[in-house]
Amino acid sequence: MRTYAPAATESVLDGILDEPSLARGVTHHAVLPAREAIWQEHPDWLDPRIRAGLASRGIERLYSHQAEAIEAVRAGRDVVVVTPTASGKTLCYALPALQAIADDPAARALFLFPTKALGQDQVAEFSELSAAAGMTISTATYDGDTPAPIRSAIRGAGQVVVTNPDMLHAAILPHHTKWFQLFEQLRIIVIDELHTYRGVFGSHVANVIRRLLRLCAHYGSRPVIVCCSATIANPLELASTLTGRSPVLIDRNGAPSGERHVLLVEPPLLHPTTGARGSALTLAHRWAMPFLRAGRQTVIFGRSRTAVEIMLSTLREALRQDLGPRSRVRGYRGGYLPTERRSIEKGLREGEILGVVATNALELGVDIGRLDVSILAGYPGSVAATWQQIGRAGRRGGVSVGVLVASPAPVDRYVVHHPEFLLGGVSEEARLDPDNLHVLIAHLRCATFELPFEPGEVFGPGMADELLAFVAESGHIRQAEDGRWYWSSENFPASEVSLRTAAPENVVIIDTTPDRPRVLGEIDLFAAQVVVHERAIYMHESVQYYVDRLEWHERKAYVHRVDVDHYTYANRAVTLKPLDVFASAPAPAGTRVHGEVMVASLVTLFKKLKFGTDENVGWGPIDLPELELQTTAYWLTAEGLTGGWRRNDLDIALMGAGRAIQTVAAVLLMVDPHDLGLVTQVRSPHHEAPTIYLYEATPGGVGLSVRLWERHGELIAAAAELIGSCGCDGGCPACTGPRLEPGIDARGLALRLLGELGAADRSSGPIPVPA
Amino acid sequence: MSGATLERRLANYRAALRSGPPDEAPRRTPGDRGDGGSAAGSGSIALAERLAAALDGELILDPAGPVVRCEPATLVLPLDRERLRTLPGQPPADAPLVCLDTETTGLATAAGTVAFLVGLGWWEGDRFRQVQLLLPDHPAEPGLLARLAAHIPADAWLVTYNGRGFDWPLLVARYRMARRDPPPLAGHLDLLPFVRRVFRHRMTDARLRTVETELLGSVRHGDVDGWQIPGLYLDFLRGGEAWPLIDVLRHNREDVRSLARLLGKIDVDFGDPVARAAAPRGDLAGLARAFSRERRLDEALGCLDSALAGAPTQRAVHEDAAPLDPDLDTDATDPWWSPKRRPDIGGRPQRASWEAITAGRLDSPWTEERIAIERGRLLRRLGRHDEAVAAWLDLAGGPGSIAVQAWIEVAKLREHRLADLAGALDAAHRAAGLAERRRRMGLGDPVVERALAARLERLRRRTAQPGATASAPTGATSGSRGSGSIVSHVARTQSSSGSNEQAIVRRSPARAFR
Repeated sequence: MRTYAPAATESVLDGILDEPSLARGVTHHAVLPAREAIWQEHPDWLDPRIRAGLASRGIERLYSHQAEAIEAVRAGRDVVVVTPTASGKTLCYALPALQAIADDPAARALFLFPTKALGQDQVAEFSELSAAAGMTISTATYDGDTPAPIRSAIRGAGQVVVTNPDMLHAAILPHHTKWFQLFEQLRIIVIDELHTYRGVFGSHVANVIRRLLRLCAHYGSRPVIVCCSATIANPLELASTLTGRSPVLIDRNGAPSGERHVLLVEPPLLHPTTGARGSALTLAHRWAMPFLRAGRQTVIFGRSRTAVEIMLSTLREALRQDLGPRSRVRGYRGGYLPTERRSIEKGLREGEILGVVATNALELGVDIGRLDVSILAGYPGSVAATWQQIGRAGRRGGVSVGVLVASPAPVDRYVVHHPEFLLGGVSEEARLDPDNLHVLIAHLRCATFELPFEPGEVFGPGMADELLAFVAESGHIRQAEDGRWYWSSENFPASEVSLRTAAPENVVIIDTTPDRPRVLGEIDLFAAQVVVHERAIYMHESVQYYVDRLEWHERKAYVHRVDVDHYTYANRAVTLKPLDVFASAPAPAGTRVHGEVMVASLVTLFKKLKFGTDENVGWGPIDLPELELQTTAYWLTAEGLTGGWRRNDLDIALMGAGRAIQTVAAVLLMVDPHDLGLVTQVRSPHHEAPTIYLYEATPGGVGLSVRLWERHGELIAAAAELIGSCGCDGGCPACTGPRLEPGIDARGLALRLLGELGAADRSSGPIPVPA
Repeated sequence: MSGATLERRLANYRAALRSGPPDEAPRRTPGDRGDGGSAAGSGSIALAERLAAALDGELILDPAGPVVRCEPATLVLPLDRERLRTLPGQPPADAPLVCLDTETTGLATAAGTVAFLVGLGWWEGDRFRQVQLLLPDHPAEPGLLARLAAHIPADAWLVTYNGRGFDWPLLVARYRMARRDPPPLAGHLDLLPFVRRVFRHRMTDARLRTVETELLGSVRHGDVDGWQIPGLYLDFLRGGEAWPLIDVLRHNREDVRSLARLLGKIDVDFGDPVARAAAPRGDLAGLARAFSRERRLDEALGCLDSALAGAPTQRAVHEDAAPLDPDLDTDATDPWWSPKRRPDIGGRPQRASWEAITAGRLDSPWTEERIAIERGRLLRRLGRHDEAVAAWLDLAGGPGSIAVQAWIEVAKLREHRLADLAGALDAAHRAAGLAERRRRMGLGDPVVERALAARLERLRRRTAQPGATASAPTGATSGSRGSGSIVSHVARTQSSSGSNEQAIVRRSPARAFR
């Protein structure tokens, strides 16, 4: 394997599987058969120019899902298109937009992408398509980088406006009078990468869309909404929650694909007592080398910029020793210049570049053609993202390989040991709650600013009057004699709302490294306590910053750049008090509850932990006031436990089981484990029984806890699975969490508890896959 | 989420807010009922009556909504429209002028900002009449908009201060919100750009209040600050007193009057050629820029000539004069020990560099050199090449980087406009000599040096060609300003180096002018 000789993807893979040190880590190897394309002719009504344009780009027929989508839009229906990466999703919305403008040049379309870069790529693609059709369509990106003179031109004449939700929220909707041509003639709204609109961000965007549609109604237009999503369990539910409409689901993929091997790999267990495992980066590197040497185009995904740079340099080093194609391996991540990125994309398309090490910047939309091998160093956090990254490899004619290498995180371990989770249909769902009060009220203020509310007007869940009256108490809104609600403040409400955070009050993080200090970002108070306390190491886009000062009352944190080998972890002491029960039902050995809680959090000290080993290298005190968080939660009381639990054992068992439930819940609901807080109580003062609480870290919650309550049985079973399948001997960070007391079998205790809570009653098989 | 849950959540949310920190407590004014003002007698008409009574205004019950109208005293304020018309950017003499200034509920020209007070003023003969329209309540806005439209004739020019950026877009937004078209305008004279161009060099900033103190010689006493205005009005809407708005009304009235007075001052100071010549040097230089923006180059040159004529001593410079000592570029903020700072040993005052002068910030002072540079450029644009050369030669006797650039300008003119290759080569040599001296002093500019080297190389090659001096560019005498055609002609005749030269020539005005 030391030579550099071209070889077929399959034979390289066979070679790797013959190598015992690599093959041993494979927990699952699936082969997905090739599939044929399902074609459909262009519909008759398609404008001849568009037809000719498609033909000139080699598209004589449409895939079935494309044809289905454009027919539905033609009929005035909203649609959600759910098909894999590189299945020609763009045409599903580009064709209706082209056709609408071909029918009526005054027609306008609005394309929403979650990020700026993605928008710019799509503008290029759409422009090529319209140029091929011989139609001059003014297509323009409207984002933070658009220069002022061009902005006014786009407002007046942009037929297709490409933007992102943040820009729509802060720049377009509040200034709708300058955009009246767009709003009057808006025919199509495109929401691409629908699955990214979940959690807090999704809840905000749902309200932005409510505001958008409200203004459309004011200007007399009723646009069709086309959503495109990666594969998730609940696309239809997500789309209807996000848009407030009832779209048609189009998920029968008509695009062809070649044979694909998917391998799930776990680094070897180095130390059974601590549960220490080998590095995912090293293993990903070892998997990539044979493919690169054999001249197979390979993309390697790392989870952070640092991971990318580390893998890139070790790959180049290794290839240099072996006289391999070193210069043909490139890095790709945020922070590279656009021109550099474009040249890498082009190099990949044309085969000039052999390998690329990337962050998820390469996951969405960007056109790099199709490669042979995709290696994921770490689970990217959701099944949808995993498939998008694996989907980067996949040639129509040949064989492609996708490898998921687990990192030591519990979530990763769960995924590679449950192949059915990744391969057996999708059970992860995207959740959002547009009626989260914090979010809803923030957008109600923005909506009032944009257009006065009529008495009895519906916004979101119902008539807005009660909420408006509530906001009026603060004096920012007033109801005039005509019954309408008017914005009556000199403030600009959209500037007070960031779509990426939930709480109205944020700590602004200011980087003092450059001569002119700049704002790095914002963070809500609750997170600020543990992330930007004084002397913390704050990570922003994989760059480390040292927090010099946290002005708590000013809501400002001053940081400067550093390069250190450790990170900080703040201990949060949490007390939790249930406020209200929304729903409750009996469960094995206890009760499951969904309701509202008040979480009080006090942060008193932080630890410095070394990267990689998590070794404790110091600590310090934190002096910050206690914070309260009112949020929704799911909890489980175990009043029916038998089996004579000792108090200490029960404490450890509750913690261990809780950690596992938290992990599994994060996987099922596509959220970061930190979005769910965990509190366990051996004897809850409220319920007088052992209790496990999982609360949402977002004020008011974004709809996660109600789903956890509904999926209680699955959670218990899956948590037992996670712990049961772990190779450690008495609990480890990958299952029950870091061991606190040596010599105690946390793993056994947690399993016993979960058994009593009903895990044993269920068939211990995989998570049931929804049909 | 079901509605019932939402209600419960709201109740919990309220409960949490009550127990929350006190800084979250809602802001209330004494008369605020908080229930949206549904109590009897708080309607638009009642508000309008209260407003009219407090401000001594007239209540107009327009069917679209009540409006309060105030009419301040008329002023005698003559304006010679024929004379004013001759100045750059000014409206035709027969167009009615409507001075306009708004007071608003915020600074964003976005949908939720309302113009609650529109002050208008216009001339009836020598008399300046004013009207102020006040919005008594949100729902009455269509009435205000209709009244306002009636005050703006279709052939009128609007006169504002920053109205292009703020007042007018805001009013357009209000008309759009009401789903009706804004009144058409024949023209819009925004005085802010004119003030910035002509007066900014001697003002601390360009606010209207500064214009009053520094140009019109008037000072307001007890005036309300702009940032207070939205609050005063919103407090009134929420049930507060109406009398604090008297100050706002006076503020607005003075703003509109200042517009009229400023226009009068511009007319008197610059409209009359005799008065104009006596204007401050910097004002004239700024006016020259305003003229050249309209391509009225002769008038611009006239302004610059007047400016220089009023200037003190001109240095006598001869073409063969020895170059003066190069200047050190110094920055006053450098500490005394910095090697960049020249030790102060008395003698000739330090001069600004070419870059500092031509960077052309509106608030940078108009030095004699800066005006002379403008004049050189203007002469070239006018096609008066011999005079342009003379102007540059004047500057070429000056110090430092200005001399280098002046010689380069001379070289350009001689090469491309005057067909004097030998002279051009000589000028380029002089520029190179000066640049070299500066480089040895550690003050070199690699970009200039490289361009100069290329220029010298090309000129040497061209002078070496037989008969090269005879090929005068055809456009040289006719072209007054358009360098494009001439340059491209030159580019075509120069097979090897033409494109390079074209790039340099094209770039230099853009870089140098702003």
